[in-house]
This record gives sequence, C-alpha cells and structure tokens, in this order.
Amino acid sequence: MPVDNSIKKLLIVDDSKVSRMLIRTHILAQRPEWIISEAVCGEEAIALVDNDLPDYCTMDINMPGIQGTDAAEQILSKHPSIKTVIFSANIQETHQTRARSLGTILVAKPVTEKSIALTLDFFATSQ
Amino acid sequence: MNNLSDLHIDALAEVFSIGAGRAALSLSEIVGDEVRISVPSIQVINSKDINSATLLLNDGRFGAVSQYFSGPFNAEAVLLFAEDQALKIVGDMMGSQMSIEELAEFEHEAMCELGNIILNACLSAMADIFEFTLESSLPDYTVASADEILHRLKTNSNQPYVMVLHIDLTIEKRHTAGNLVFLLSSSSLDSLISHVDQFLGKIS
Amino acid sequence: MNDICNTLNLGVCAVDAEGKVLLWNDWIAKHSGVKETDALNKPLEQIFSEPVSPSFLAALKNTLTYRLPVVLSTALHRSPLPLHNVSGTNQQPSRMYQSITITPIQSQRDESCCLIQVTDSSTSIKREKMLRAHSEILKKEATTDGLTDICNRRFFDAHYEMAVADAKRQKYPLSIFMIDIDFFKSYNDYYGHVAGDDVIKRVADALKSQLSRATDIVARYGGEEFVLVMPNLPQQVAKQFAEKLRSAVFNLAMPHIKSQTLKQITISVGVCTGIPENDNNLLNKADTALYQAKVKGRNQCVCLPLSEAEEYLEQ
Repeated sequence: MPVDNSIKKLLIVDDSKVSRMLIRTHILAQRPEWIISEAVCGEEAIALVDNDLPDYCTMDINMPGIQGTDAAEQILSKHPSIKTVIFSANIQETHQTRARSLGTILVAKPVTEKSIALTLDFFATSQ
Repeated sequence: MNNLSDLHIDALAEVFSIGAGRAALSLSEIVGDEVRISVPSIQVINSKDINSATLLLNDGRFGAVSQYFSGPFNAEAVLLFAEDQALKIVGDMMGSQMSIEELAEFEHEAMCELGNIILNACLSAMADIFEFTLESSLPDYTVASADEILHRLKTNSNQPYVMVLHIDLTIEKRHTAGNLVFLLSSSSLDSLISHVDQFLGKIS
Repeated sequence: MNDICNTLNLGVCAVDAEGKVLLWNDWIAKHSGVKETDALNKPLEQIFSEPVSPSFLAALKNTLTYRLPVVLSTALHRSPLPLHNVSGTNQQPSRMYQSITITPIQSQRDESCCLIQVTDSSTSIKREKMLRAHSEILKKEATTDGLTDICNRRFFDAHYEMAVADAKRQKYPLSIFMIDIDFFKSYNDYYGHVAGDDVIKRVADALKSQLSRATDIVARYGGEEFVLVMPNLPQQVAKQFAEKLRSAVFNLAMPHIKSQTLKQITISVGVCTGIPENDNNLLNKADTALYQAKVKGRNQCVCLPLSEAEEYLEQ
C-alpha cells in the first residue's frame, strides 16, 4: 500500500485531555507532518469543522453534551468528505451498528499502536 | 496530602471509563441487551473524611463486593450497591419472572459475579494502560448498612486513602448508581501516582 | 496429591496458557463422561461432544490474559459446561447446574495457567425450592381460614394494625365492616352443623366476590362473624357498599325457616369509617354499629362515623 505523505488535517474530539494527548502522540509518531486540532465536545466539533474543514476526524462517544455518534452524524451529513473513526471503550453491538450506518468504523479504546494502525488504515483506504 | 493533579484525575477517569466499557460489554453478553456503565466522577480523599454524603449513601442496606489485590500497589476494592436495586438488576439479568424473595437465594453468588465483572474490568484496564500486572483474591459479598460499611472503611488504619468512583449502571431501562471504593495505603497511593506519571510522561 | 484431587466432591481441572488440559479429576471425568486420558493435553473446548458456553470461554481467556480470578454464578449461567448428573437408573442424565470459579495459578515452569473449580448447585437449588414450597404452604395455613379459604383471624389482627397505622400516617379514611349471619344458632340447631358450615362458606364467597381492589380484605372474625377492611372510601360510598354486601347475601336466597326475619339467610352489617387518630377505635365502633343493626331488626346496615366531628361534617 503506497503511503500518502501529503499534509493532512485531523480533528480529535474527546472530552478527556489524556485521551486527546494519547491519540495525538500516537498519530504524530506515524504521521509527523499532520496538522492536528482538538475539540472537547460534540458541539465544539460541529462549530469547528465549518471554519476549518479537516480531512479526518476521531470521535469519542461518551462526552458531556451530545453523544459523539450524534455529533458525527451531523458533521457527516454536512461534510461527507471527512473520514471519521469512532473511538470508544463501549464496543457493544448497538454502537458497532450505529458506527457502520454512519459510514464510520468503531475502534475499541484504549488507544494503542494497534488501534491507531486500524485508524490510519481506514483513513487511507475508505472512500 | 493529595498529590493528584487534574491531569492525574483525567488519566484515571479515562482508565475507568475503559474499564466500565469492558464491564458493560461482558454484562451485555450475559443479558443479551444493551448495558451502559459510566463513571461520572472520581475523587481521592482521606478515609477519615469519608461519610454517607461523600458516598451518596442513604438509609437502606448495601451489598458490598470486595476483592483484595496486590502488585505494584496493594488495595482493597469494594463495590457498593443499594441492596434492593442490586436485586432488581440481578433479576433483570436472570431474565425470569422471579420474585424478589426467590431472587434472594441467588443473591450472594450473582452479586459476587456482577461485582467481579466490574472490578476485573477496571483492574484489567489499569493493567493495560499503566502496563503492570495485578493479582487479586476471589470476590466476597456482604450485606450491611451504610454505617457499618463506613465504620469498617474508617477503622482500616493501614489504608488512610480512598479513591471513590461513582458508577451509573443501566440495564434494559433499569438504572442504578453505585460506588467503587479503593482503599489505599500512602505508599500504594504514591505508587499509583508514579505509574500515572510514567504513563503521562510517554504521551506529553 | 492425585488421590486427594480424585477424592474431592467437586470438579477440578487445570489448563495451561493455550487452554490445554493439565489436570482432570475423577469427579469431572464422571460427570462429563470423558476419561482423564482422553482429556489431557487437549484444548478444553474440544474435549466435550457438546459446546462449552461462550461466557465460560471468555472468562477463561480473561483469566489467562489478566490473571484475575473469575466467578460464574448459577444464577446467571446455569450450566456453562456440558456436565450431567449421573443417576444409577437408566434415566436420561440431566444437565447439571454449576457454580464455577477460575483462578490463575503458577505452573512449575512459571507459565500462566488456570485452575477451574466446578461445584454442583443442582442439589442446593432443589433444597431451596423444597424449603420455599414448604414455607409457602405453612404461610398459607397460618393466614387462611380452613373452612372458607378467606383470611383468618390471625391474619386480620396483623393486617388491621398495619392498615390503621398506614391510614393514620397518610391521613386517609379507613372503613371496617363487621358482619354477622342473622339467627345462625337456630339454623345450626335445625339444619345441622354440615349445612351450617355450608352457609358460612357461601356467605364468605358472596362477600369475597364483592371485593375488587387489592387493598381490601375479608376475614372470618369468629364463628358466623366476618370483617372487611377497606381503605380510602368516603363514608357515603362505604354505606352503599355495606348495602351491596347485604343484598349479595340476600340474593343467595338460602332458606332458613327458623329465621325471625324473612325465612331465609340474611346478614346484619355494622360499618365505621374515619381517619384513625390516637385513641379512637374503628373496630369497637363498627361492632357498636353491628349491634345497632341487630337491635333495629337485622337484615340491615348501620353506618357510624369514627368521631362526632365527622358525623357533623357528613350531614
């Protein structure tokens, strides 16, 4: 698989600072040239993407305010080009189905090298 | 006393939310329905400051599942649920028409299992993220009043610190709240903090 | 060591890090129908001819990965492993209810292994069920009147106390109905005790059939006396209900030629309604009302309020 070395923009949405740091660190280890922005809740993410359209997005589910899956649905209906991965510790069937129906994938937390590899693979290959 | 920064608390919250997610997955496989568990708050306090207000306990009787664990730090973990709510949840999990009286005979073992699932999920999430191994005793179940439980926690002089997690559990539209209490000695708290620091050092 | 393991009255099995069997005691061989020699060094889930439950396999994997002990309760899993109760007869062996614990142990070569302990919970469940059925019969016998199958005096006494306490605390009215079969002694003397018992039964049924709320009870108070406890009725409604009871018995049209009223079985009803306070006694007042109904000529109802003030309010 050819590696796309162009500069991409990634938005990380997670209410936990530690979780955002973890995703950022792992992504930058693989893609040091990427530009990363962060949002702490679904509402902030929805507002951010209108001003600065990212290529990719990682979205937590359980956050204060609207659920991450609902935020992803709103964002994708307006900006279907953003490739999105849902990160959650909760990988029950209902969440898996919901993620698939949005054209995203659900990746189990904790964030590790393995889960970041799955994420990057999805970003690179999905249409 | 408390050397925990906001970032430490945030890291622990993330660990326990992952634990809660794993526990929810295991429970949903047993009940065949969606289970939601969240950990809305974490606090570390001196065990002498623990009271029914900090634990949001009321008058009734509580079921307490406890496991002692050891490794890089030693602690006793106690999961507390109001007994009547716990019985209803166990009833839902068994998915039968049993009355509360009939359930009582299964209460002991079923509560041990429910507590074991949640405690193990939290411990395994800690082990994965902080990269250490913990050993644990088998779970034990007791039913007591809030006062009796708090008295025992307070008189445990070797363990002056308690980490209290509030837990919300929802199974098939039935909702209950519980507490997960970790009793820690000073050296165990220090050791836990140093593991959190090591972890944070790798990502900042 | 092996002898001890094989003498145990519980299943003991150990598996290595890959889930292969290292230890298989006699108990588990007996109840699984798989001999030790056929089990050793094989993956646990492939040993049985029937599948092992997914929750058992998930628990085993968790213990091997995280080295944390796991409990599988009978209540939530029933029968995770294909083990059966072996009976001496030719009956189809039944699947055994089990309680299982899985604990991590250290092998001699310091590898991760697990000890699986299985206990048979069928017997304890059966014992619990028998005890429960037995105690339910005892409970029913203790609270039910043998002749009429309605509540007995003992149940009424306990219920009355609670009903009064509830009404007092929540400040709602409580109605007590005292009922007596008119000229029952003459009926017994003339028709005999068997017929007398039958009348008591039929009157009890007629009274019971008038009740529709779960909060209401009817009990046999004494020989031919009955009592009803009904919360939350306005006095006017209680009065109408007493009349309904009287006519329900009247409509049975059971002949009673020795009766000095109407040559058939009738009842007198005394009712007292009110919000219980400190010293006033609903039961005594209902008894007074019953006495008045008898004095007035029987086959009728008398309704008294609990206190004079309420009597005034009603008018």
